[in-house]
Amino acid sequence: MTQLLALSLFLALSVVCAAAFIAVARSTAAPEDVPYEATAKLRARLFWVVLAVLLVFLGLTIPYTPYPDESAQPDRVVHVRARQFAFDFSDRPFPDDATTDPDQAPLTGIATGDLVEFRVTAMDVTHGFGVYDADGALLAQVQAMPGYVNRLRMQFDTAATYEILCMEYCGAAHHVMRAALDVEKAN
Amino acid sequence: MTTSTDVVESTEAPVAAALRSITLRWVATALVLFPVLVLLGLVMRVAQSDLVPDLDATRFYSVMTLHGVGMVGLWYTAGMASVCFLLSRYVRVSVLANKVGFASTLIGVALLLVSTLIGKFGAGWYFLYPLPIRPLGAWESWATVTFFAAIAVLGVGWTIWSLDVLRAIASRYSLTEALGWGYLRGNVQQEVPPMVLITTVSIIGALVGLVTAVVLLVLYAVEALGGDAANDALLMKNLVFLFGHLLVNITLYLGVAVVYEVLPHYAKRPWKTNGKVALAWNVVLVLVMFAYLHHLYMDFAQLRELQLLGQVTSYLSSVPAAIMSIFGTLALVYRSHLKWSLAPALLFSGVLGWVIGGIGAVIDSTIAVNLLFHNTLWVPAHFHTYFLMGVVLMLLGGVYHICDKASTCERKAGREKLVFWLTAIGGYGFLLMFYIGGAASIPRRYATYTGNISDGQGLALASVFFIVLFLAGLVIYAIETGRRCLGAAKAS
Repeated sequence: MTQLLALSLFLALSVVCAAAFIAVARSTAAPEDVPYEATAKLRARLFWVVLAVLLVFLGLTIPYTPYPDESAQPDRVVHVRARQFAFDFSDRPFPDDATTDPDQAPLTGIATGDLVEFRVTAMDVTHGFGVYDADGALLAQVQAMPGYVNRLRMQFDTAATYEILCMEYCGAAHHVMRAALDVEKAN
Repeated sequence: MTTSTDVVESTEAPVAAALRSITLRWVATALVLFPVLVLLGLVMRVAQSDLVPDLDATRFYSVMTLHGVGMVGLWYTAGMASVCFLLSRYVRVSVLANKVGFASTLIGVALLLVSTLIGKFGAGWYFLYPLPIRPLGAWESWATVTFFAAIAVLGVGWTIWSLDVLRAIASRYSLTEALGWGYLRGNVQQEVPPMVLITTVSIIGALVGLVTAVVLLVLYAVEALGGDAANDALLMKNLVFLFGHLLVNITLYLGVAVVYEVLPHYAKRPWKTNGKVALAWNVVLVLVMFAYLHHLYMDFAQLRELQLLGQVTSYLSSVPAAIMSIFGTLALVYRSHLKWSLAPALLFSGVLGWVIGGIGAVIDSTIAVNLLFHNTLWVPAHFHTYFLMGVVLMLLGGVYHICDKASTCERKAGREKLVFWLTAIGGYGFLLMFYIGGAASIPRRYATYTGNISDGQGLALASVFFIVLFLAGLVIYAIETGRRCLGAAKAS
């Protein structure tokens, strides 16, 4: 939905700008002197309009950052380790020793409505952790960097198998670096 | 107050034959390299469309790397070469420094070809740490060394060239004067043409980017030679995007400088520096240093204040561009005596490409939206818009103007129209597939699209058609400009 809205806004604004450019290009068919004062006045107005529009958008969007709200506690913590070219999931933190395999039991028990915190890191190069729904729409993402843990919080509305795709180019098999995540219906 | 040459006067003021000669070499190089690099882009979209049997993924990513580094480097140098030529009306740039830039570019390109096509180096054009040194067998370490050698050679050559341009400007204007501070203080000692102002801003930005690249290379070298201690991934990412974002934006500003200088020639109206123009470009110089932060929104470990600063600076940096340069272009052309031909048409439509790409960029620089667009096809969509349909068209327009004025070849209006419409339809059609792909959550930098993202194949296939149109326009452009280059070479 957000993606479609953004595309529509982009196309609408682009068409308006292109129309303005075409109109100006065609105006050269009837040349005449344009007083500098009129141009300056229009530019001043445009300045305030552009600034106001940007500030409104800034004010409306900047509160909606995806960064964790420390005042809320997650219902479930899932540790994610990305490596060339797979994702490991665990209920326990991964050991610092990158060669040690954590408990690789299938991750279960994520329920709809749970506030899930993915603690995402990488053991070799930088990867991306993108969560896709069953229709192939990207729901959220975060980068997976060696030496850092990025915390992504999500709530799943629908019980389904979600697909995880690598969102940062990480090498020759980047395009096949995937995993599945099952979300069950809450009791 | 002394007055510089009126910008309405023709730009073909006496230019040293040596400068003309090296500029024509740059033009010839660009006319060969650009279609080849577009072809590499075509190869990638063909592979993604599944139109032909699988292209080996390692080969795909090495082609992607060569395409990216090649395009960024090509247009930075084309911008510098164009600006140096046009700047010679006002200041005396060194032909030797220009030649150093040319020689280092040729050596750098040769090393890049070896690294990517033979060594299969494929870490992408901004070689995100630590992939170049951890390729998991996709390429050997000599290919990485060769790639970094190429970057080092290019960096040294371009730094020398850039410093010389700054020296040339400083030999006539003081740095503060060239930055237009006299206009801000209301104390103008001599008129500063917009081209001088924008070039000064651009070169300062470019030097910051190039120094950042040096720091990056040194940190890579220290890790490679020093053994166990790994670099900090977040620091390296900040550095690489400061460098990359600056280089790409500065290239765009060089294109804008060409528009400021050449378009008045066709519109037969002056475009002069005043207090507002000076203020706008000084604001740009500050904001462009921080706007790169929007590349790191999805690195949640980054300080939150820096993330917010990224959105604020990305939004605000569009204000001076929109008010001074874009509105200025429209005001310059509106009801002017401009007679449309290929050069002004490319310059004017290049500014439109900047606008449209800027809209896509501002949308993507919104943190809440970036959560869904980061590293999807929306990213190549918007940067290809302000690059391919922005700065590339501006510079193609500038180059066409330079060659046209230097030769006596007759213009063929039919061919010029064909070039314009083929590049416009081909270019925007190609870009639209990227934008739709971004909105459809198709990730970028994927050698193949399978499973839940297989819609990407159809979009790639449609892109192939549009790239062929663009390429056809480009070939006609190259022939027409090549004719003029030859004519100009004979004339000199």
